[in-house]
Amino acid sequence: MSWYRHKVERDLAHWQTAGWVSEAGAGAIRADLLSRRSPFGVAPIFAMLGAILFGCAVMSFVAAHWTGMSKLARLTLLLVALWGCYAAAFALFRRGLAGFAQAAVLAGIAIFGASIMLIAQMYHMEGNPPDAVLTWALGALLTTVLVRSPAALAATFVLGVVWSSYERTLAGAAHWEFLPLWGATTIVAGWLGWRPGLHLAAISLVLWLVPLGFFLFDHHAHWIVAALGALAALGAAVAGPAIDRRMRGSAALFAYAIILAFAGLYLLAFVDESRFYRAPDTSWTPQLVLLAVLTLALLLAAMLWALMSGNRGALWLAYGGFALEVFSIYVKTFGTLLDTSLFFLVAALVVSALAWTAYRLHRRAPAAEASA
Amino acid sequence: MIGAPTRVLLSLAIVALVQTAVLAYMVIDRMRLIASGREITLPVVPVDPRDLFRGEYARLGYDVGSVPLRLLEGPRPRANAAFWVTLDKMPDGNWRAVKVTSERPREPASPDRIVLKARSSYAWPHDSPPETAVRVRYGIESYFVPEGQGRKLEALAREKKLATLLAVDGNGNAAIKGILVDGVLQYEEPLF
Repeated sequence: MSWYRHKVERDLAHWQTAGWVSEAGAGAIRADLLSRRSPFGVAPIFAMLGAILFGCAVMSFVAAHWTGMSKLARLTLLLVALWGCYAAAFALFRRGLAGFAQAAVLAGIAIFGASIMLIAQMYHMEGNPPDAVLTWALGALLTTVLVRSPAALAATFVLGVVWSSYERTLAGAAHWEFLPLWGATTIVAGWLGWRPGLHLAAISLVLWLVPLGFFLFDHHAHWIVAALGALAALGAAVAGPAIDRRMRGSAALFAYAIILAFAGLYLLAFVDESRFYRAPDTSWTPQLVLLAVLTLALLLAAMLWALMSGNRGALWLAYGGFALEVFSIYVKTFGTLLDTSLFFLVAALVVSALAWTAYRLHRRAPAAEASA
Repeated sequence: MIGAPTRVLLSLAIVALVQTAVLAYMVIDRMRLIASGREITLPVVPVDPRDLFRGEYARLGYDVGSVPLRLLEGPRPRANAAFWVTLDKMPDGNWRAVKVTSERPREPASPDRIVLKARSSYAWPHDSPPETAVRVRYGIESYFVPEGQGRKLEALAREKKLATLLAVDGNGNAAIKGILVDGVLQYEEPLF
């Protein structure tokens, strides 16, 4: 949150000299900002990293002292470490060190996972390895619900994505079982009221959706991903005010939807594109042109909407996507320079025309506001 | 982490208890299988003859680890879903796969027949010749040996015959109970 405080601090100074904000008002705003400190300061974040490293240390210690310890001793050590973490979490919570308590909870979850892996190793269990990750994720979800821990929530999302990717890789098929776990975790995130948790929900869903096209229909169905993203973006733009009345979030939804739509189109055009090229020397096909035009149109529309709705995140994402798209087109069509230059010329003309339109719109807007 | 200390204490205690119970279940389930499962011996076929025991972790291959497509009866198993392989004991004492089914076969147990639960990473081919070999895993393909012991076992494997002693329960779950070198039990798994 500190970047925000810095910005407000700068603006406050300006507003105060202009006489719009009184001395008392500025003081009250500063006090409010200070009271809204995030629970995740620098110290707790280091503590979290420490917790993860602690989990790794326990895992390799037990794995290394294979011969020197009986199975019973190894199991006892794992359970002592597990209970120790949760006891430490309680002690830290009682002393009012919530951030450190979160780190201890995270360490407990890490040791739970390490124990699953080590017990599987000790007893030569193989079964279906993703099941172990699912068990770990469910343990993390239980911790999230009972302890109301944001750190455990983040762990649940990460483990859910790992589980689903693992299962999908092994089966080579879409893994719909991810959705119930994701839904449950997202409901818990909403119930906790921890905003970054909802971002994690969106990010894990995007991570799950992007490769989905590889596993549907003809295994090249990325258009579904692109269409889903475009629809969601449209929904976020049209129903934005309605969404924001319930819960401020249409701007973020729009940004994630644009990522999804762009990812689908990008996969079609540059990653999973081999079937476009029948002869090895053809590098420029009508499909690629169509996809490039569609992608650039989507990104330009996203930029325009982001500018109009003041969505800075989406604006930067669209800029980034635009740069990536143009660069990829350049790499793909390298060798047929004449075509490339023609494409860039057309693109430049289109973008310039849009810039002019945007400029005209921008000039008219304040005038309309003034007359209203 | 909001709430009265008692509530937090209770929540953390429940979390620790449930997680302990999950871990205990894993161990007890395995002990039950090893202690009461039916014993069979399967000869080991080296997966990678040059480097069978890579340090502390060995990959074990079996003759029954690949089954011809023609053995499949009934619907094809989904990719990475469990299915069952029926093994028959041949007159020479070796086990051979005779049937693959998506459901667990409900036949009375016999000393010359055993059912193993298996998985395959890939979808079963549709239109391949009946002799096409399908690779299956029974969950007995890796063996973790004590640190430093890997090289010794590797040297043994080069000149002698290795086999695994398995315990198999009624559902077809299999667990490695020990490793035999030239028919003599060399590594036996302690339960604790």
